[in-house]
Order: sequence, then structure tokens, then C-alpha cells
Amino acid sequence: MSEVLINNLELWFGKTKVLDGVSMKVPKNTIFAIMGPSGSGKSTILRVLNRLIELIPEAVYKGEVLLDGQDIFKMDLLELRKRVQMVFQIPNPIPNLSIFENVALGLKLNKLVKSKKELYERVKESLEKAQLWDEVKDRLNSPAAKLSGGQQQRLSIARALAFKPRVLLADEPTANLDPENTAKIESLLLDLKKETSVILVTHYPPQAARVSDYVAFLYKGKLVEVGPTREVFTNPRHELTEKYVTGKLY
Amino acid sequence: MRRVINYLGLSMFVALALIGVAPLFLIIYDIYSRGIPAIIELGGWSFFIDIPPSPFVDKGGIGPQLVGSLYMTAIGALIGFAIGFPLGVYVGEFRKDLFANVSRGAVNMLVEFPTITIGLFVFTLLGLMRQDINPVLENIGDAAASVFGEGARYFIGPLDYYNAYAGAVALALIMIPYVALFTASAYSTVEPQLREAAYAVSGREYNAVFVVLRKVVARAILTAALLGTAKIAGETAPLIFTAFGNNYYGEFTKPTAAVPLWIYYASQTPYESLIISAYGAAAVLLTIILAIFIIARAVGRQI
Repeated sequence: MSEVLINNLELWFGKTKVLDGVSMKVPKNTIFAIMGPSGSGKSTILRVLNRLIELIPEAVYKGEVLLDGQDIFKMDLLELRKRVQMVFQIPNPIPNLSIFENVALGLKLNKLVKSKKELYERVKESLEKAQLWDEVKDRLNSPAAKLSGGQQQRLSIARALAFKPRVLLADEPTANLDPENTAKIESLLLDLKKETSVILVTHYPPQAARVSDYVAFLYKGKLVEVGPTREVFTNPRHELTEKYVTGKLY
Repeated sequence: MRRVINYLGLSMFVALALIGVAPLFLIIYDIYSRGIPAIIELGGWSFFIDIPPSPFVDKGGIGPQLVGSLYMTAIGALIGFAIGFPLGVYVGEFRKDLFANVSRGAVNMLVEFPTITIGLFVFTLLGLMRQDINPVLENIGDAAASVFGEGARYFIGPLDYYNAYAGAVALALIMIPYVALFTASAYSTVEPQLREAAYAVSGREYNAVFVVLRKVVARAILTAALLGTAKIAGETAPLIFTAFGNNYYGEFTKPTAAVPLWIYYASQTPYESLIISAYGAAAVLLTIILAIFIIARAVGRQI
């Protein structure tokens, strides 16, 4: 059974059609990359998947999104956010909260832990999984804003992992990082797929080729091609895909 | 030639800026240069406690006025903030709701309302309600007096046409839109990625808006509360029909003194001691407001 199933998703911002009948299946414990040029609707798909899209008043959408067979639009929002968490393009820890508080935030707000000890354990576990624990364990109470960009991004990942999500949405998580930090995040994502599915949005085809198991190519709101990564990159069925992966289409 | 024109143009801007800013310093200078000697002449420290001078006595103070102003401003600021802050969050953060947009328009208009009409409105409202609420208030007053002693009657009991609570409500009505607008604009400065982070970790919209974003804009909100308080502390017009003014200490359920009302009243009398007491009162009021303003600035700068 697939973890996430998107069925004929259409979305408008006011009168502009942004997603035009997108359908895809994201299997469990894989990294599923969505690539495409700017403005193709990649990030919008992610925002539908955890319903952050509801923050945008002029967004209208129809279609079906199922998470383990359940309709996400009918799901309780907290239930959805527990299962689907997100990492953003710009690292966005809450600046005036401490490192510890940033990771603990979601757990505390939604009362997902019963004791302080459990909270500490969950925060520690999440920071370890995000490969940040060793760097920050001695200064958990210093403000998150003091971390470097790469560390802030791993902190954002830890914050998402604290929920123990089934699906992690990653919206160009390395777009603002240097190559060294990019490599760290990529290896981190590969580690994470043991326990969660990762949907990775990227505008950089080599990244999709490096880390993903499946890849979808999106162009102007339409799904051009989707399939196992190796196949899409070595033997694209569509001319547009070939142009894109060989760097001839931006 | 161009340089000369440029130079002339710039000096014109500086000159105009000076004309705009000069009144601030002239007012501060005028009020303190006359107000401080007035306070000393009327009795020094006792100026802050004594009742106002009568025309032919040369000692006195603004004790009842200070107490009344502090009491009404405190209550007004509390009510104003308690309603203005959530209203501002609603107007600023829930833009997809039609009613939030209607509220935004209303708040924008209310903030520019002539404050005297707000006083008049509260006066009318109280006049309509007095007969119905006073029996209840009388019972509450009796109950409070039997528990806390007769002193409780200073605070609670049947309301006169003019009283401190009407004044406080009028001040609160002025503060609500002020705090709401400030809050709404503070929320609108939250960067989109932080807003998304807040919503992504919150299962409930309530958590995202009030808990997470409040941490982001906390200082701005505190500044709004302080500036709003400074604004209503100096208001005169809304108190004319509500607090009315009083020369003596008294129950807050009856006409109550206020510093701005005293300045307004005393400065129009022909008596020297009253006029200088108005200057003293103005110096005190200005000090309070400048102090709140400076604190607000200091808090706001650390954002």
C-alpha cells in the first residue's frame, strides 16, 4: 500500500491555474523527488499535503489526497500534522526560542508528551536523528538564531522529526546552503527513509538523481513524467524530461 | 549652479523639519520651565497629595487628580488591551474571513474618531443603563462592604451619572482600536517562513497564532500596550462627559478628578494659584507620558 496518493489534484490561485490534474503515488520508506523549474507548482504540492495551503486565502483546489487511505482534507488538522511534517527552503527556527524549545515546541503545544523526562528524551532523539545533537548538546538553552545556516536547517529537521512523522516534506531544503551542508542534509535524508517517507522538492536535477528512489517531473503545473529515478534519468519517455535533466530547460 | 540649487533645496528641507519638530521642544521647555517652579511654590512633594488650591490659598496640589487619572488609565488600559490585542490578531491574521476585513475597516475608522463623541456615547449609554444596573450594583456594594469593610464602597456601589468607571470605559474604547491596529501591523511584519513554521508545528490554529507568533511579535505588542496607555493617560475630551472632574478625593462611583481635566479647568480661571497649579499638573502629566514613551521605545528597539 502506498503512503501518499494524489489523485487528479487541481489548484488555482485566484484565476491562475497552478496545478493541472496532478496524480502520483508515493510508496512507503522511499525518497520521492519532485523536480521542475521555478513556478512549476512543486512547492504548492507540498503545501497541499500538509494543508499549509489553507494559509493562502485565494487558493482553491479540488481532487483527492489520501494518506494511508484516509482523505487528508477530512482529517483532523493535528492528526495530519502529527503524520506529515515539513522542512522549508529557508531554515526557519523561531529565532527567540532556544534550541531545545524549538524542537520541543510542537510536542508541548499539542500536548504530545506526558512528562518532562519524555519531552527531553524526544528532543534528544530528534536532534540525534537530525545529526545535530553532538554540536549543540552543551548549549541547548542558547537561542536558535545563534546557530549557523546549516545547523538551523538541521534544527528545523529535528523539529519536524520530533513528531515522529510518517511523511517528511522537504521543500528545497538545501537551496540556501553551501555544498558541505548540502551533503550533510542529503545523507541525513537517506538515513531517514528507514522510518519515514520523504518527499523532496528540488529544482536541481542532480540532487534528485543522487538521493531519490522515485522522481516526478513537473512542468507548468502538469505532471510530465514519473517513475523510478534511474529510469527517468537514463531513459526518459518524454522529450521535455530529457531536456530538463540534461540542463536544456530551465 | 546645480550645487547651489541642491544646497538650497536641502536647507529648505532642514528648515521645514525644524519648524515641524520645534513645537515639541518648545512645549517641553515651556511646561517644565513654568511647571517645576509652580510645583515648588505650591508645596513641593505635597503637590502630589494635596487637594487643589482654592483661589485665595497659595498652597495645594493635584492629589485627587493623580489618583483619578491613574485609576481610570489603569482600568482603561487593561480593558483596552484585553479587547484590542485579540481583535488585532483577528484582523491581522485571519484575513480570509470576511468579517475580519469588515472589522479592519471599522477599527481604522474608530481610531480616527473624535474622542469627545466616544465620551458622549458612554455618557448616553450609562444614562440608559443606570436604572437597571444600579440596584444590582448596590447589592454588590453592600456585599463587598460586609466582606472588605466600608472602604469597599469607594470602589463599588450604585453609579452616579458621572463616575470613574464611565471614564475608564471611554478611555478603553479609545485604546482598543489603537492597540488592535498596532497588533495587526506587527503580525503582518512576521516573515512568511516563520508563519509557515508556526502553522506547521501547530495542530490548532489557536496555538499557531497566539502562542508561536506571539513569541515572535511579543515586544511589538508590549510597545503597543505602552504607547496606547500613554495616549489615553493624556486624553481630556472623553472624560468631560464621563469622569466630569472633582476637586476632592471621593468614591470612584461618583464624579472623579483627572489631571487633564484639572489642567483644562484651572487654566481658564482668573486666579493665579489655580493657573500655576495647572502648569504643575501639566508638568506631571508630561513626565508620566514621556516616561511611558521612552520605556516603549527602549522595549521596541530590542526587536
